[in-house]
Amino acid sequence: MKTHKYLLTGISAVALAVMSANAGESRAWTDIQGRKVQAAFIKLDGETIYLQTADGTVYPIPLSRFSAEDQALAKTLKPADDANILAQVPTNATAAQAAQKIDQLVKMGLQRGNLKMAEEYKKTAAEELKAGKQPKPYKPLVENPKCSDEQFVRRVYVDIAGRIPSYEETTAFLKSSSSTKRAELIDKLLDSDGYASATYNYFADMFRIKDKFDGADFVRGLPYTQWLKEQITKNQPWNKIAYEMITANGKVWNNGAAGYLLRDSGMPLDNLANTLTVFLGTDVACAQCHDHPFTDWTQKQFYEMASFFGATTTRLNGKDFANGDPGKKLIDDMVYQIEKVGKDPKQLRNLIGNVIGANRYEVRDRETNSMKLPHDYKYKDASPNDPVAPKLIMWSPKDKENPAYKAVDAELGVKTASTSTSKGAVSKATAAKKAKDAASMAKNSEGLRDTFGKWMVHDQNPRFAMTIANRMWARAFGLGLTQSVKSIDNVDESSNPELLRHLAAEMVRLKFNLKDFMRVVYNTQAYQREATTEDLAMGAPYYFQGPVLRRMSAEQAWDSYMTLVLGEGLDKLKNTQADPYGRAIDMDLEKTTVQTLSSKITALQNLNAEAQKKMGGSLADAGAKPKGSKADDDMMMEDKIVNYDGMKLMRASELEQPAPPGHFLREFGQSERLVGDSNSKAGSVPQVLTLMNGKAQAMLTSKESLIHRTLKTAKDAAEKTEMVFLSILSRHPTLREKDIAKKEIQAHGDEGYSNMIWALINTREFTFLQ
Amino acid sequence: MSNPFNTWDAESRREFMLRTAKATLGVSVLSQADKIMAAAEAAPAGKGGKAKAVIYLYMAGGMSHIDTWDPKTGETKGAKDPISTKGDMKLGGYMTEMAKQADKITVVRSMSSKTGVHEAGTYVMKTGYEPRGTIVHPSIGSWAQHFLGKVSKTLPSSVTIGGGGGPGAGFFPPALAPVPIGDPDRGLQNVKSAANGDAFNKRIALMNEFDSAFKDKFKSSDVKAYNDFYDETLKLLKSEDLKAFDLSQEDTATKEMYGAGQLGRGCLLARRLVQNGVRFVEVVSGGWDMHNYIDDAMSKTGGAMDKAFAALIQDLKRTGLLDSTLVVMGSEFGRTPRINENSGRDHYPKAYSTVFAGGGVKGGYVYGSTNADGTEVADKQVTVQDFVATIGAAMGLPVDKVVFSPSGRPFTVGDKGKVVSDIFA
Repeated sequence: MKTHKYLLTGISAVALAVMSANAGESRAWTDIQGRKVQAAFIKLDGETIYLQTADGTVYPIPLSRFSAEDQALAKTLKPADDANILAQVPTNATAAQAAQKIDQLVKMGLQRGNLKMAEEYKKTAAEELKAGKQPKPYKPLVENPKCSDEQFVRRVYVDIAGRIPSYEETTAFLKSSSSTKRAELIDKLLDSDGYASATYNYFADMFRIKDKFDGADFVRGLPYTQWLKEQITKNQPWNKIAYEMITANGKVWNNGAAGYLLRDSGMPLDNLANTLTVFLGTDVACAQCHDHPFTDWTQKQFYEMASFFGATTTRLNGKDFANGDPGKKLIDDMVYQIEKVGKDPKQLRNLIGNVIGANRYEVRDRETNSMKLPHDYKYKDASPNDPVAPKLIMWSPKDKENPAYKAVDAELGVKTASTSTSKGAVSKATAAKKAKDAASMAKNSEGLRDTFGKWMVHDQNPRFAMTIANRMWARAFGLGLTQSVKSIDNVDESSNPELLRHLAAEMVRLKFNLKDFMRVVYNTQAYQREATTEDLAMGAPYYFQGPVLRRMSAEQAWDSYMTLVLGEGLDKLKNTQADPYGRAIDMDLEKTTVQTLSSKITALQNLNAEAQKKMGGSLADAGAKPKGSKADDDMMMEDKIVNYDGMKLMRASELEQPAPPGHFLREFGQSERLVGDSNSKAGSVPQVLTLMNGKAQAMLTSKESLIHRTLKTAKDAAEKTEMVFLSILSRHPTLREKDIAKKEIQAHGDEGYSNMIWALINTREFTFLQ
Repeated sequence: MSNPFNTWDAESRREFMLRTAKATLGVSVLSQADKIMAAAEAAPAGKGGKAKAVIYLYMAGGMSHIDTWDPKTGETKGAKDPISTKGDMKLGGYMTEMAKQADKITVVRSMSSKTGVHEAGTYVMKTGYEPRGTIVHPSIGSWAQHFLGKVSKTLPSSVTIGGGGGPGAGFFPPALAPVPIGDPDRGLQNVKSAANGDAFNKRIALMNEFDSAFKDKFKSSDVKAYNDFYDETLKLLKSEDLKAFDLSQEDTATKEMYGAGQLGRGCLLARRLVQNGVRFVEVVSGGWDMHNYIDDAMSKTGGAMDKAFAALIQDLKRTGLLDSTLVVMGSEFGRTPRINENSGRDHYPKAYSTVFAGGGVKGGYVYGSTNADGTEVADKQVTVQDFVATIGAAMGLPVDKVVFSPSGRPFTVGDKGKVVSDIFA
């Protein structure tokens, strides 16, 4: 058996363990080194043979791995009738079954990795021998051991609910003797409010969500934020969310999804570059200004994609109103009214202008597609300022046959002027042709975004499902299957191409239900292994022997602090500013009178005062009352938001987006939200100063904080020490640590607990998720 | 799309990037030998390279050029008449203190920018690049640290006073980001511990004890990097260098000379920091968005700036630091020459002024000019890219050197702007 080690082990182990009913159809397959495995032939797909072992599992194996006879045989065999279905996970598979399939693919990837590394080892070993050195024996990469319950409970709370578990949550899980307690906890957390908050944080970083949109002081991201949170909470499928964002119309407070395009009002090309990156894993930012230097993307292709948005405006002007922009007259009328009552309009003028200005920010399609090549276009296939007709990019020539393209080809054919876009083709359009093209495009500007959106989210789009699947995988494991989740250039260069393709197929099978997808991922053995302890070589492929060690994100760290001061009730506190803001600012500029405008301005000025009413209480009464005290619920009645030294005590997802400079969140790496996926996990001296001496630290070590108050319920010092460790590190203290704690408390009394809390929060063990 | 490029090893990939960048972008790419040549070119003898430190005074909101550095006598003059100075130039009537220091400054009167929006204008003045939704560019202090390394084991290489956010390290690692100081009087944030000396040390000891098993198990570079940051921070907390951030060490007369406002305090702190070895200090001061009653606003904000700027130059001169310290004053744009209906001036990027002092630049010198009413650049236009490249050259940075972001895109200090070497003495 030992000879089978790195090759067909994945199969052989299972096959030999479970020789059963199907054995009749199977035969012994032989690899190039003469090792045998019993399996049934399913199909040959290109260079991959699919074999089914006795337990029903189907494995893809490279053809080249087999003996010449078996290779020849495989080419003559007929595929099984249900070959394509067999190679996939059944449509109605349970999370556990689907997870098992992923684990098999991870295992195969690891084996392939070992083969590759063993080859490389042979070379270096030979060189070392030549140089007279005795090479170290080759140590194959093995899967990490299963993680402990203590590691699991912390990891899964932080990953799914975005925060560490409370003392009660940790102990409840550790005490449970249910054999399926891990799966049960995964289900529970996926259904919690924490899931929505944590998932929102991930997407807010990816989409660069801001409260204050650039250039428009009064257009705020609040309704967009609220909309996205609602989609996540109701588990709207990803393809629907993405389609909505691309095709939404209206003002942000009437349609939150419009926030996606309004976020980048005035810079539609940047918006498109981001769209291609976040939804399609394709980094073409370079092509915005010139042909991509390293791949085949051309600047023209970029503009052809941009042309799908060429009829769309995000800011209305005079042309968009029947009788010209009514804003100017409104301002004049308002100023006149203010002067009439003897007041100075100068101070209010900016405010009035801003309120009216905000109501010009609206996503709307015009009748003309005005997309043109840039004034400095320098390639020979077109001239500067030429109109550009919309055309979809392809990742491979085969995409022409892809249903995602075919489905929209018909629509495009009708809608757009004919285009000749092959790179290098020289065709200087004549003025007449340009005019004709422009006229034709003008006629066909309708529904362009809709066409693009349908293609983008199509099940068979070569990148859409794969991109989100890869991102979700990276959320769980700390690394994606490609070097960067922003760019899936060549699927075959992934660290495990079969797994990447499979995850994309799973995303489609699960109909883009992110919660179900994550349920499968979290239920894999691969996820539930210990984190890899050693350093990953720069750029070297990772084979997912377990998750990688990750520093908590800024939001996870902040929300964990919130758990320590607010307890499990932290999700009751929500940001509710979106609706009052929308009501206050919304106007139909063509129908607004001076009276309406005046009342709008008053309402806007009152927003802050209204928000203030939600604030109240202090650290001493933040969070659930310790067990044993009476009237738990009464004290929680209003769930006021506590202001501690200028910090609102609530989840990161409910605070200003992004948090202001100097806030713990920003110090700990929250993105400024200028560029997507920019949350930083790197340290700095100012950051460590914050961790040591910042306001958040003072809050946690304060005797009024929930964690301190909870300690009072413990019967003795030993139990208190247990509580501190379980609350902060989600694990029991070791004997040695108990001893250190005992001495600390003997020396410093109650202050000793503050010191312990401080020390534990500042450990790398707290910050890094194993 | 198949991309054979990805299969190349790192070295050939870099080679290819350089070659392609040269071919397609028209940027100059340097061989090892070229690099030395270029460094010399960027800073020819007597032409820049003298500034060991830079203090960048950033006037947030858009500083009126006509009321400060480029006074006019005609219709667009504003409330005050131009005044004569110790240098060969006239200044705006509010610049009474700076008039006495004019022999030590170069005024660039031919600045021109493309954007009249505060955020975008500020971004380009600090990075040399237009803002993009796909990358963040480094600020000048971070560029300097990239090329020249850290200045000391304990002190940060660059500091921003009163600035809030900003581009920071851009695509460089966060360790190259300027350290922000909100209130100059309060100095560096979070250096005071809730626990006193002994108790603090005790906490550190506890932390290390509780963390030892984890640190033994996980020896990854990420964890090590954090261990190092904790060590560095503890070193700083115990270091004499902390006093560099402490304005209470200054005497009353000096404080009065600079003025009590945010800018005065910021300038004083900047001098302390530079004195102690910090390389790049940015002092941000607001109040310049003068849409209404500009005469009142200039008397207040302009007066405070005049006092602080003049004090800084004198103080640097006194301490012998002026020759090696470049002081730059900039703003996202100028203001409309025409006074608006609210007795103010609006945003005006088309023509405005910046000021350079010390660090090897000429004194009493004016570079470029605007037309009679200050509406157009008349001579020797300087773009924001030129402005940033000039600061880089003053520090001796290789402004032609192409640096690649982690995403493989090519960038230079000041986005290929031309160094205005004429201002160097």
